[in-house]
Amino acid sequence: MEAKIVEPKAPTTSSLFLDFWKTFSSNRVAVVGLVMLIVIILVAIFAEQLARYDITTSADITSKDIYQPPSEEHWFGTDDAGKDVYSNFVFGARVSLTVGFFAAFISIFVGGLMGIVAGFYGGRVENFLMRLTDIMLVIPDLPLLIVIVAMTRPSLMNIIFVIGLLGWTTTSRIVRSQTLAVKSRKFVLRARAIGAGNMHIIRHHILPLVLPLLVVNAILVISLAILNESTLAFLGLSDPTRLSWGQMLNFAFGRGAMSAGAWWALVVPGLGIVWVVLALTLLGHGLEQVLNPRLEFHHLMPGRPVVQREAGNVHSFAEEIHPVLLEVQDLSIHYVTEDQPPARAVENVSFTLHEGELLGLVGESGCGKTTLMLGLLRLLPAAGQIVGGQVDFMGKDITAMSEQELLDVRWNGISIIFQGAMNALNPVRTVGDQIKEAIVKHVALLPGDKVDERVVELLDLVGIAADHKDHYPHQYSGGMRQRAMIAMALACNPQVVIADEPTTALDVMIQAQILELLDELRKKLGLSIIFVTHDLGVVAEMCDSVLVMYGGVMAEYSDVDTIYNSAQHPYTQELLKAFPDLSKPEKRLASIPGYPPRLDNLPTGCRFAPRCPRAIERCHTEVPDLHILDKNHVASCHLVEA
Amino acid sequence: MTQEFFLEVQNLKKYFVAGNPSLFSRVVKHVHAVDDVSLELERGEVIALVGESGCGKSTLALTLMGLEKSTDGKIIFEGIDITHADDKAQKLLRQRIQMVFQDPYESLNPTQTIEEIVGEPLVVHKIGVTADERRARVVQALEDAGLKPADIYMRRYPHELSGGQRQRVVIAGALVLEPHLLLADEPVSMLDVSIRAEILNLLADLRISRQISIIFITHDLGTVGYFADRVAVMYLGRIVEIGKMRDVLENPQHPYTRALLSVIPVPNPRLRRERVILQGETPNPIDLPRGCRFHPRCPIATEECQLTDPPYIEISPKHQAACLKTQKVS
Amino acid sequence: MKRQQYLIRKISWAFFTIIFVLILNFFLFRILPGDPARSGIHDPRLKKEAVEAIRVRYGLDKPVINCIAKINPVEFGGCLINPMDTQFFIYVGNLLKGEMGISYHTNRPVSEILVERIWNTILLIGAGQILAIIFGVIFGIFAAWKARTTIDYVALLSSLLAWSLPTFWLGIILLFWGSNHGLPIGGKATPGMSSMPWEDQWIDIFRHMLLPTLTYTIVFMGEYMLIMRSSLLDVLSEDYILTAKAKGLSTFQILKDHALKNAMLPLVTIIAINLGFTVAGALQIETVFSWPGLGYTIFESVNRRDFPVLQGTFLLIAVSVILANLIVDLTYSYLDPRVQAES
Repeated sequence: MEAKIVEPKAPTTSSLFLDFWKTFSSNRVAVVGLVMLIVIILVAIFAEQLARYDITTSADITSKDIYQPPSEEHWFGTDDAGKDVYSNFVFGARVSLTVGFFAAFISIFVGGLMGIVAGFYGGRVENFLMRLTDIMLVIPDLPLLIVIVAMTRPSLMNIIFVIGLLGWTTTSRIVRSQTLAVKSRKFVLRARAIGAGNMHIIRHHILPLVLPLLVVNAILVISLAILNESTLAFLGLSDPTRLSWGQMLNFAFGRGAMSAGAWWALVVPGLGIVWVVLALTLLGHGLEQVLNPRLEFHHLMPGRPVVQREAGNVHSFAEEIHPVLLEVQDLSIHYVTEDQPPARAVENVSFTLHEGELLGLVGESGCGKTTLMLGLLRLLPAAGQIVGGQVDFMGKDITAMSEQELLDVRWNGISIIFQGAMNALNPVRTVGDQIKEAIVKHVALLPGDKVDERVVELLDLVGIAADHKDHYPHQYSGGMRQRAMIAMALACNPQVVIADEPTTALDVMIQAQILELLDELRKKLGLSIIFVTHDLGVVAEMCDSVLVMYGGVMAEYSDVDTIYNSAQHPYTQELLKAFPDLSKPEKRLASIPGYPPRLDNLPTGCRFAPRCPRAIERCHTEVPDLHILDKNHVASCHLVEA
Repeated sequence: MTQEFFLEVQNLKKYFVAGNPSLFSRVVKHVHAVDDVSLELERGEVIALVGESGCGKSTLALTLMGLEKSTDGKIIFEGIDITHADDKAQKLLRQRIQMVFQDPYESLNPTQTIEEIVGEPLVVHKIGVTADERRARVVQALEDAGLKPADIYMRRYPHELSGGQRQRVVIAGALVLEPHLLLADEPVSMLDVSIRAEILNLLADLRISRQISIIFITHDLGTVGYFADRVAVMYLGRIVEIGKMRDVLENPQHPYTRALLSVIPVPNPRLRRERVILQGETPNPIDLPRGCRFHPRCPIATEECQLTDPPYIEISPKHQAACLKTQKVS
Repeated sequence: MKRQQYLIRKISWAFFTIIFVLILNFFLFRILPGDPARSGIHDPRLKKEAVEAIRVRYGLDKPVINCIAKINPVEFGGCLINPMDTQFFIYVGNLLKGEMGISYHTNRPVSEILVERIWNTILLIGAGQILAIIFGVIFGIFAAWKARTTIDYVALLSSLLAWSLPTFWLGIILLFWGSNHGLPIGGKATPGMSSMPWEDQWIDIFRHMLLPTLTYTIVFMGEYMLIMRSSLLDVLSEDYILTAKAKGLSTFQILKDHALKNAMLPLVTIIAINLGFTVAGALQIETVFSWPGLGYTIFESVNRRDFPVLQGTFLLIAVSVILANLIVDLTYSYLDPRVQAES
């Protein structure tokens, strides 16, 4: 079958720079900084036009003119020599900025070159250059600057060179570490694999990715250079005939502006320095946010309130034999951001979990399974919001619980094993400590040694030797860390354990060990487990029931045998066809063309319709209901309607 | 050896120096990443290289590419010994051997357009006299990789494409030089299940249309079950079993292969299998066990296994296993 | 054992850097023009014996070091001479004895002057840094916790502003305001205070310290707040915070037991990197407020061309910063368990 023509994701701007500009101009801090900078640069450029008096002559100046307060003739008053502070100020801008920019240029050039050479070529060269940088970093720079400048002629050129030649250290470090980081990225390996030489790689791969950081650092270096120049001038080490702002302050301070009460002579030049440095700082800070966007939200931000809404069409799989532990009814979760349509991550999901049951939650990237799991315990990120439905756990509705009740039910009633345990454990605390924490929180009044006993017991349960409890996560291997996560999850004897892709990053043999462990523990402790995964093989081996999700909604839900042998939803069927089966190795794998829908721009009608091989007209316009096919089998598809 | 193979690897070894030896340590330890690997490949053949992390499969690929210098052994490609090829020869070699990497999100430079990425090999090797000529070749490669019409992709950036599309770009980038051998290092493991087959089918089709040989490296045997001709199982730097796909799958002889096959989950709830779950983890390749490297974890190891490093025993034509307990099929 | 290796490496590196600074210090003052002792020699009015006497007095008749007799301009000399008889090793020898020369201006031994003054600088820096760290950390935590709210924006902008103020200028402004409101305009103590009871003396010192310390605190608090905020923001986005939340820990518990320690680590590193700025700040503040510390000493000695004092002070400052860096490095290795794993 001819592959469908699939458009790239979304029409976007055709240039990286325009992309960048769009983000940049929406960052207020950066824009303000840029504007402030442009203003002062213009002042420096047009100093002649802007000045009101000729600052080079002393003609027409008498002793009466010294330290005159601001007035109509002298907007910023006069200085110790009777000259107009405003005019000195605009020319001072030129001097301060020129020295600052040129000195910074030298620093950036030297530092950048050193950084790239050190980072790229490594070995002895890198060692030497970095040791040199380390030494220069440790030596305090202002005293050194002062010493050198003091012992040479006070000229602006000198100052430019000295500041420049001592200011490369931060640039060198940053450029080197960025070069190292880029060098180890796969696309550089690919470039080598196609036969590119060093120069090509530096030019096409290293430089474009080092440049943004270099620019941010450059801004810092410029502001430091300007501050350094002002300080040196203030200390009397600059050329007294070229009035930079620092030099103006040197004269004012040293020539009695304070005792004369001439605050203008002290405030105005300083404000100039503050203006420029603040402009650069804002610009730098904003740029950094644009180039290195931090995650918008952190885990401790207050969440959104739950929207209570009557549960709609719900089908409950209640069995008489095993009591129901967890019943999710018509749960919907959206991600809400300002001035954008909400991402409807989970909609109208219902399922039932019985005691001792292992439910497999299957779906691919973007199907909402992790959001669903986090929602069960109200651990959604700040933008997430439960907009409808209920989560009944042991008779109480989690969506309606207070903060205190939530703290009790978490871990104690329902615990989670996260994916990729590397960062799921705090790297600076021992593993034993972190398990202990969970026990202490929920099991009241247990004496210290009993808690330690319990920790050892738990580790033993998952096959980790007792002495490992005082080790740190980085000392555990990948498989061991996952076991430790399991041990921790069982610490408070929960009824339900949610395992979110617990073996995805592990080798197949370690995966088998972990799965076997989970199965044993389930039988031993009578646990119920919700197992989130994309691996249909694992689900077939382990699970009792299966919930297949697509694009945030339930596609199909039934027991494992039905799903694998008489699936009704086209997505389930296609997914099974796409999954390799070692018992039938000649089976040609099918694929589903296209990609999952964007949750903030969903198609009308069935979410799977654009990719469905059996879609009819109706599928594109009308959202399918959840059809009950059997006592224990539901599917949301128009085609299964009896 | 009268028959000339397309690719012949003889006793290849690649060792790395372990850690940072200080001035005071006399003994330098080595990571035996690839430890005596021999392999033959014919033109147009697909061989799957299977193993868990740390088995050396990726290092083997990098060494074959020349991105790592081998410590010992020989690599003979299209009749020429390329083991110690100099820089110039290496560069020419790049046109014949290409690599497809695992991570479609990282293999592409985010500041380059698709056209620049796919065209880069042409620029590096100075192929194509005019920009138009190069452009035409880029378009051809993109379309062969299934990105039709190529025009809508040329000016895009990687972040605008989906995972599957990106992997196709990576493949197009490998195809543009018209290589004879493709080393695919886990090309689909980071893609969604429903998209994997597309890429696998693409590779299968390319093998036929362009007569490319493929060494397919993966930890997931299931994905190549149907288009690999042969499979080689690696453990701690050595090939422990190699043979035709059907033979190895139906009659695995090495205990490691057996264990591996028994634990790979099969999407069939009615199938209850005897699973051989090995205990512990793969030991580090620095201090290799004496004798057979697998014996510490082997369910059927005996004293003999602790003393002798097993040679390859032929089970049937083209099917060999390095295990003392192997039965030779007459 | 790995930690031992780490410690040894760090200590030997600090030692090596100090040697480097020593050498730099020595040669800097020999290379750069401007030392009256030597420039004075070129005065054509001086008689030959007087020139010779000056040279002997300042030890300038000896070769600089083996193989090099003079540096400015470069003149080579004998290589097999006794190194102990060269200017460089005499200098080093003297340093080890605690002698740093005699001040041109006051004729007092440099080491005496420095010992007096170093405590004043430590007093000022100590008070300022402690306050800056305390306030910076508190505000930083608060800003990160309440990220993206008005409180955060206000805190962020004020920190950026504080960082942009030139230290000496802030000092001037505060001094101007302070002196109009009864605070002393400089120095450490009012003249004549030394005869008063010591509680009064300390109150007097406190009044003199108020503005300089305030200046110091404002400038550094801004930076520490920014670092703490961004570090805590990073930490609070990590997976283990979600795990802690899933365990049922309250926000306060999570901040206390999981977030803070991790967030403080980068701050410790920054304090180390900042030691140079710390000195620069102290230098400016002491100059503006005439606070008799090491920074003021540098300023004074530059103005008076008192090179032995300048050279001695620079060396002391540089060595102090190197040692302080070392202490912070070592402390960090105890705080972060991952450090031992690096080889």
